[in-house]
Amino acid sequence: MTTLILAAAQAPFVADPPAIEQLAGELGPNGLPYSLPIHPNLVHLTIGLFVIAIAFDIAGALYPIEKRVFRFLALPITRAGFHDVGWYNLLACAVATFFTVAAGFFEMLLAQPIPGVTSTIGLQSMQTMLWHGVGGVAILLVIIAMTVWRGYQRFVWRRDMGRQVQWLYLLVGLGLFLVIGLHGTLGAELAGEFGVHVTADQLLAAGANLREALP
Amino acid sequence: MFELLPPLNDHNLPWMDTIHPIVVHFVIAMGLISFVFDLIGVVFRKVQLFEVSFWNLLFATAAIFVAIIFGQVEAGLANPYGASSEILNLHSTIGWSLAGVLSLLSGWRYVIRSRDPQQLPLGFLGAGALLSALIVVQVTLGNQLIWVYGLHTVPVVEATRAGLV
Repeated sequence: MTTLILAAAQAPFVADPPAIEQLAGELGPNGLPYSLPIHPNLVHLTIGLFVIAIAFDIAGALYPIEKRVFRFLALPITRAGFHDVGWYNLLACAVATFFTVAAGFFEMLLAQPIPGVTSTIGLQSMQTMLWHGVGGVAILLVIIAMTVWRGYQRFVWRRDMGRQVQWLYLLVGLGLFLVIGLHGTLGAELAGEFGVHVTADQLLAAGANLREALP
Repeated sequence: MFELLPPLNDHNLPWMDTIHPIVVHFVIAMGLISFVFDLIGVVFRKVQLFEVSFWNLLFATAAIFVAIIFGQVEAGLANPYGASSEILNLHSTIGWSLAGVLSLLSGWRYVIRSRDPQQLPLGFLGAGALLSALIVVQVTLGNQLIWVYGLHTVPVVEATRAGLV
């Protein structure tokens, strides 16, 4: 019995035919049922909104230092206004990111990375996709947790304070910048190096001549 | 003179990966959300959101100039082929125009905000809708350059260097 299990564990996993073949008739040359992927576009919203939310809360937190600069620029500012950007942008980010992750999983299930490629940071395609998939869910979770945390600071704990956020919150936000940066690099490599859902790359990998296939 | 330039990698870039698509996060997200918040602000009389919109618009305007700088450098190194040359030209033209449109809207918005931050004329909402439409068109063109033609992706750069495209 034990030897049988061991033998099964050692035999290489072969999916034959690959499950993706079931959809072959439905998919275009980029491996999607439509020409432009949706996930990378929703990513603009997630990253843009999150980064600016944290940036404006930092501006709100450092208000006593920078207010002279804005007076010099004749740009009227309020501390509450900065924190409003921090709150509403994060709220919008939390809503958008559900769709970013959902679209990401749909498109990753249809991904056919070019075989035999190792990325700049030294990962193969399956590892890159697994990290990017799990990382995406983890980031969504942190964004949701931070939105709840931010809400408590705004409406309960620090309601009557000028500085609406804790320093720890800003620190966690900056930490997530780094994680998102690394995470985005993996995503960029899936497209730019593994050719996932890039029509030209997939055509080249299939041996097509781009002069004819993509005039 | 060319030997003064840093060497180009397998993306045909002097840096690790394309920077333009990262910078445009801030133009796209801030430009679109500025209109969305204005709309919600007008419909639900949530005047707080006008201030949020203003800052997002200002940030989108600042970001587009950075986006254009990297966009021009990376477009110059893109080696477009086939129909992508035309798309890249159009993308560049709309990109520079967007810088003008965003600057104009930011200026107009600054005046509106200075006079009465609690009110937003419907004309500005219309302009915001137009800006959003322009952004969507511009994003679609940029999408075609990367997702259809694969400019700056390793396989296309490789094929270009081999004289295959």
